[in-house]
Amino acid sequence: MSAIATTRLDLRGRVGASRWTYRLIAFAIFAAAWQLGAMAAGTLFVPTFLGTARATVTLIASRELWDALLLSNQSLVLGFLVSVGLGVPLGLAMGRFRAAEQFTDVYVNILLVTPIAALIPLLLMSLGFTLTSRVVLVTLFALPMVVVNTRAGVRQVDSSLLEMARSFRASEPQIWRRVLLPGALPAIMTGLRIGLGRSITGMVIVELLMVSVGIGNLILRYRGFFEYELLYATVVVVVIEALVLIAAARWLEHRVTPWAPASGLRG
Amino acid sequence: MITIAGLRKVFPGRTGAEDVEALHDINLTIKDNEFLTIIGPSGCGKTTLLRAIAGLLPIDDGEIRIDGAPIRGPGPERAMVFQNIALLPWDTVLANVAFGLELRGVPQAEREEKARHFIRLVGLAGWERRMPLELSGGMQQRVGLARALAVEPKVLLMDEPFGSLDEQTRRLLQEELIRIWETTRTTVVFITHSMEEAVLLGDRVVLLSPRPGSIVEIVPVPLARPRGGRVDDMGWSAELLGITAKLWRRLRDMQPDLVRAPPAVAVTP
Repeated sequence: MSAIATTRLDLRGRVGASRWTYRLIAFAIFAAAWQLGAMAAGTLFVPTFLGTARATVTLIASRELWDALLLSNQSLVLGFLVSVGLGVPLGLAMGRFRAAEQFTDVYVNILLVTPIAALIPLLLMSLGFTLTSRVVLVTLFALPMVVVNTRAGVRQVDSSLLEMARSFRASEPQIWRRVLLPGALPAIMTGLRIGLGRSITGMVIVELLMVSVGIGNLILRYRGFFEYELLYATVVVVVIEALVLIAAARWLEHRVTPWAPASGLRG
Repeated sequence: MITIAGLRKVFPGRTGAEDVEALHDINLTIKDNEFLTIIGPSGCGKTTLLRAIAGLLPIDDGEIRIDGAPIRGPGPERAMVFQNIALLPWDTVLANVAFGLELRGVPQAEREEKARHFIRLVGLAGWERRMPLELSGGMQQRVGLARALAVEPKVLLMDEPFGSLDEQTRRLLQEELIRIWETTRTTVVFITHSMEEAVLLGDRVVLLSPRPGSIVEIVPVPLARPRGGRVDDMGWSAELLGITAKLWRRLRDMQPDLVRAPPAVAVTP
């Protein structure tokens, strides 16, 4: 028994190690291709990998970047929180109650299919160059993902569990607390993770196209000054932030739903 | 005592399709402390009948009374064991077994003590802190049984509880159920598609006809109790087989299309 367990642990350890090996190899190939491609192009507009890496280090050491990140993340944090605060209850109601579904389904679909960037002029006219309009745009990006995943989570709760709870005379609040919410939690967490990714997209887009502050402003400024290494470095920083946040969301997801299959399977 | 009189259940057809009558004029009396098994061809409405007794399904005609009172929805005197087990995957074995008591507002210490008792009774002592997905199918259904027993129901409703288990596990659980039932002696209504299981467990076997399900015959099982662990007793086994064979003849007669000899074909040389 213990021998089998040990073997399995060993295997898992080796698989884990080899996965990181592959990732490093893939990254090395990517970096080398970038470096060689940029050197071959020989233009100011495509900085080399090493140049970008140097610029990233400089940027991370600068006060300017952290001020910009702080400013940008206001809309990210607020917009994401609003999306969760509105999206989870809405998704729960839509999943459980037909009336809620019929009232709101069409609007959720509109949000899903509309290119959100097309709404920017409308937002500018109604809300101006304010934090509010940045938050609203981030919310528009993230909200539909949270709603749709939460709704799917409630719907996919095993109906035999609901029947079982009913047979033991569970009240509607008890059914919510003991069956529907835990059953929907894995999908809700997935929705939060995807919504977080969309929030980051929204945060950058709003600053590039609409309210030029924070990271978006930094990108536009470096472009204006032909500082392409710093421009790329800024994008790298945004990507790093996104990866860290998504990894944190994944970790949290696994922590709160240990019974669920690995999140990779759930997209 | 459960009395079912003139019970009829119709499922509305999907748009355009005809309604489906699942149960037709069911009249049945189930005595206290009786182990009643119900058997019939697949799709005959066995499970519908059980869900109606459980109060999970509105009925279209007739009535079901428990000790004289007509049922309105699920009641505290009934508990169900499900074919697909239906354990909460996010809860431990202990919390699953205590679930019914938890819903009734029994304080945690008390309900866990009770749950531990029934976990021991179904032979799962030591597994209290495990999660359902760590258990085999047979062990999961033991948890399902313990969960139903934990609310100390007067009537235990079992919907093909061993249907998805392999034969060895099934036999073990049948013997366990006999052993447990002989100590608790609750009324049991047990749905099965296994004739041998119906005879082995039941005091009486109710035969349902194909859809719309109605009662064709009620076969008493005069096998002596206690029955646990007697399958190796030759005389006893022969008796069991005899009743099973009788049941099979009746079930086969219900599906004449499948067994009647094909119409003679004139063979011309």
